[in-house]
Amino acid sequence: MAADPRVQEVLDRALAEVAGARSTSDLEQVRVRVLGRSGQLTTLLRSLGSVPAAERPKIGEQTNRAKAAVEAAIAARLEALRGEEHRRTLEGARPDLTLPGRRPFPGAVHPLTRVTEEIIEVFEGLGFSVAEGPEVESDYYNFAALNFPPDHPARDMQDTFHIGPDTLLRTHTSPVQIRTMKAQPPPVRIICLGKVYRRDILDATHSPMFHQVEGLAVDRHITMADLKATLQLFAREMFGPRSTVRFRPSFFPFTEPSAEVDVRCFKCGGDGCRFCKDSGWLEILGSGMVHPNVLRNVGYDPEEVTGWAFGMGIDRIALLKYEIDDIRLFFDNDLRFLQQFAGLPGR
Amino acid sequence: MKITLRWLREFVETDLDARALADRLTNAGIGVEQITPVVEGLTGVVVGEIEAVERDLGVSAAGHVNRLVRVALPGRHLSVVCGAPNAEPGVRAAFAPPGARLPGLGEVKAAKIRGVVSEGILCSEKELGLSDDHRGLLVLPPEAPLGADVATYLGLDDWILDIEITPNRPDALSVVGVAREVAALTGAPFRFPKVQVVESEAEAATLAALDIQATDLCPRFCARVITGLTVKPSPPWLAQRLRAVGLRPINNLVDVTNYIMWELGQPLHAFDLDALAQHTVVVRRARPGERIKTLDGQERAVPPDTALVCDPERAVGIGGVMGGADSEVTDSTTGVLLEAAYWDPGSIRRTSRALGLSTDAAYRFERGGDIEAPPDVLARAAQLMAELGGGTVARGLLDAYAEPRPHRRISLRPARIERVVGACPPRAEAVRILQALGFAVDDSAEDLQVVVPSFRRDVHQEDDLVEEVVRIWGYDQIPLTLAGGGEIMPVKRPSGLRVARVMSRALNAAGLFECVSWSFLDPERLKRMGWDDPAALIALQNPSSVERSVLRPSLLPGLLEVLAINASRQMPDARLFEVGNVFAPHRDEDGDRPAHEELRLGLVLTGLRAARAWFAGSRDRVDVHDAKGLAELALHAAGLTDAATADWPADRVPAFLEPGRGARLVRGALELGWFGEVALAAREVFDLPGPVFAAELSVSALAGLPAPGVKYEPLPRFPAVQRDLAIVVGSEVTAGAIEAAIRAMRLGLLTRITLFDVYTGGQVGPGRRSLAWSLTFQAPDRTLTDAEVNRLHERIVAEIAGRFGAEVRGA
Repeated sequence: MAADPRVQEVLDRALAEVAGARSTSDLEQVRVRVLGRSGQLTTLLRSLGSVPAAERPKIGEQTNRAKAAVEAAIAARLEALRGEEHRRTLEGARPDLTLPGRRPFPGAVHPLTRVTEEIIEVFEGLGFSVAEGPEVESDYYNFAALNFPPDHPARDMQDTFHIGPDTLLRTHTSPVQIRTMKAQPPPVRIICLGKVYRRDILDATHSPMFHQVEGLAVDRHITMADLKATLQLFAREMFGPRSTVRFRPSFFPFTEPSAEVDVRCFKCGGDGCRFCKDSGWLEILGSGMVHPNVLRNVGYDPEEVTGWAFGMGIDRIALLKYEIDDIRLFFDNDLRFLQQFAGLPGR
Repeated sequence: MKITLRWLREFVETDLDARALADRLTNAGIGVEQITPVVEGLTGVVVGEIEAVERDLGVSAAGHVNRLVRVALPGRHLSVVCGAPNAEPGVRAAFAPPGARLPGLGEVKAAKIRGVVSEGILCSEKELGLSDDHRGLLVLPPEAPLGADVATYLGLDDWILDIEITPNRPDALSVVGVAREVAALTGAPFRFPKVQVVESEAEAATLAALDIQATDLCPRFCARVITGLTVKPSPPWLAQRLRAVGLRPINNLVDVTNYIMWELGQPLHAFDLDALAQHTVVVRRARPGERIKTLDGQERAVPPDTALVCDPERAVGIGGVMGGADSEVTDSTTGVLLEAAYWDPGSIRRTSRALGLSTDAAYRFERGGDIEAPPDVLARAAQLMAELGGGTVARGLLDAYAEPRPHRRISLRPARIERVVGACPPRAEAVRILQALGFAVDDSAEDLQVVVPSFRRDVHQEDDLVEEVVRIWGYDQIPLTLAGGGEIMPVKRPSGLRVARVMSRALNAAGLFECVSWSFLDPERLKRMGWDDPAALIALQNPSSVERSVLRPSLLPGLLEVLAINASRQMPDARLFEVGNVFAPHRDEDGDRPAHEELRLGLVLTGLRAARAWFAGSRDRVDVHDAKGLAELALHAAGLTDAATADWPADRVPAFLEPGRGARLVRGALELGWFGEVALAAREVFDLPGPVFAAELSVSALAGLPAPGVKYEPLPRFPAVQRDLAIVVGSEVTAGAIEAAIRAMRLGLLTRITLFDVYTGGQVGPGRRSLAWSLTFQAPDRTLTDAEVNRLHERIVAEIAGRFGAEVRGA
């Protein structure tokens, strides 16, 4: 059945206008013109009164169909136009994706802190707590309790800054071991860390102020074999999974037996290079079994418990790890140096 | 300490080469630092004799008289140009013919010098690579075989081992001491040097006498008398050995004392017998104000309690440290009193430090000598001296040893080795090691009964023996185990460190760089910054320099120093912080800690606020609000969100801040720190050109607070109403005062006050300031009506208008 020519005319024109609409506002005008309150189809419906009654339902139905067709066309066109308009808007302001991102610029932790955190992380994982003590110490805690006899050349190993007759800047973090053991019964499993001071002339490899980490484990069944395994494990965490360590006998007044610990040079793999002074080994720390006199000094019974201890220079570890050739860089705090340690520790 | 391989091999037979030996020793705690050939690149140099001087060739550019000489080798004669003044006919010397190689010079070739062909080089010590001595030829004795290889003849085909001996092992400070270690390590027999002295009829006791008065300082003093000596240069082998280990040959008598000290570890001193009044040696304490001229020509005031070696009239040496100039061996010496003693180690160390005089002798004695060594050492030294000086050794040893010391006895439980080390060598091996090291061992019972030799003063107790056994057995024999089965303990971190860590991370994220600056500062700079009371500071007694002599009372000066370093390196913009201890004199609360230490966090800002970037306000410079804001950020990170700003009492405003441009941060009565603009005077101490803003917080104070817990509050169920409050007030009225006044009204429905705008300028007129707050009203149980909120707002407006003369804009 052919549509009523009036309806058909309106429908054809409306669909053409919808197709020709160039913008959503054009389209809205078309909608109002055709479907609005006084739009063409609405008007057509309203004029049904002048149509013979028999044709009314037919034309009414045709008009409603036409209305639905126009609405559908408008909806389809609207979607297309919106997409187009959105694309045009974006194209008008295309971002330069190569611009640096808009962000805060973080600072950095000092390399010494970075290494300290790494060391703490390793030992916390092994069940060690962190302990602290004062930097200004008494002769007793720094030397006497650690089995340094008075007037003994062993004291020359640690040339001391004095403050008073019995007061000094600690030369190592070992006094923290004494303070900790005096404050609690065994077992003890701690690392102590902080600044230490020795009367060295500042040059590329020496500083009168530096940083130490010491470890101490005292319990009923602690042996030098445990010390070896712990430090081997530490070296692997710190310097890579293939690191090996070497224990050489040495002397510290507060340990017996004592050992100097070297790690296989990770630059040359042990063949010898400038880094390890051709020895194939890098000296990283001193260690040993806690001297029975030290255990007695803190009220422990060396027949009941044994212990091991080690100590290392954080600055030295950082020099090795980051291949820094001058310790003074740590204390100059040149921003160009500090900026190289961006990113937080743990990565 | 340097020793040579050949010297070592005189006392222990070993096939190990220098490198292998060095490794073994190092792994036993005798650290070999360096191995070097005595000379390198010396071949083909032979003993030659100058037959004749043919003619003078004039003075060289270097000022030497060059002469053409004829040198004889077996079956050959060569013409050689030589500038040495001691190139005399009949002299035998090291000669490098063409084809020989010299260190540093390479291959010797015939060359034309001053128009004549020189067929080789007559060598000085320098050309042989033995020393820097280039004054003349190294003259060899007449019996040196003509044509013999000089390197072999002088023992130059040898290795020098440079060994670092730890302070507990004075016994290893000698060739013999190292040989004993090698013997224990390799199992090769140890041969003590032969001690055989040929004595004359004359009794030493009639030629000289000892009078040891200070037996506490000098528990043993021994001497021998040698007469009929002639002082002359030492034979080349001896001189060469001394040079190789770094000692300077002087003459045959002095060289013997040095040689034997190096070989046996016992320092010796030779007195000219005739320079000793009554041929008597007295050892006594120094008298008050006593002075002595020592061998090095220095006149020294001797500290009290020093052991002096004297004759009945005067001091002739500082016991165990250095001999006196007036009694030393001279070219005319014929009789010698040769001394070997044991000195109290502590006394030697005090004397040596007081005089600032460290000698080879003092170095050994302060570590502890061997009280039983002197008789044998003297016998060997006297014999050698007599041989080299053509003299005779008088019969008998003068020996003042009032109280012979017993040997220490220690029992060693083999189980103890296992207990401490986690492994144990077989019993027989432990016994062998101890015996090889010189310990006497009774192996008949379960526990070893060990007698400690007199030269091992460092061995006091059982664990010392454990170490001896294990270090020779080898630390590499110890297995790797991780102690299991121990108690499980909680892992703790001191709260100061935890708090410092979170604060640091917050500041890192905000763009600040962490620094580590010096703990010691310059008192002069501190004084200029306002720390002018020395009693409030802690000073070092022996600083390395005055600029680093006082412990920091604040982190600010060190951070300003860092800014200065960066400014001088073209980095004028910096935002830095540091966490560290500051120091003050001891307070009661510090207990047995000798000083008051407080962990602080300091920050400094200068120049641009942010790194330049396309999106940033690239000209914005930091101001005092940045310092406060970053301090607040750090406090916030530490869990403290309610810090308040407070003034200092008028007389307590710190001099390092600009007046009125800094304030304290407090929480109630708790001092958290301060922030502000650094005073111009303080800035100028460090030559900092631009404004600097700083803050310092007490991490210790924060660490002392209970950890901030988090407790959930139910979210509001009814909507909030926002109202802006914009007012204009006189510039002297602070935002804080207005906020405080509003809060003091205690309006329960006012839940938040946020200052969002501050404006000064044309629109509000001079001396006035516009401030705008956003006020949030909210009730927990209902939706507020406009009328309710309007009433509250009006009350607030009325309050601040009345109190501050505020004028409300566009309400």
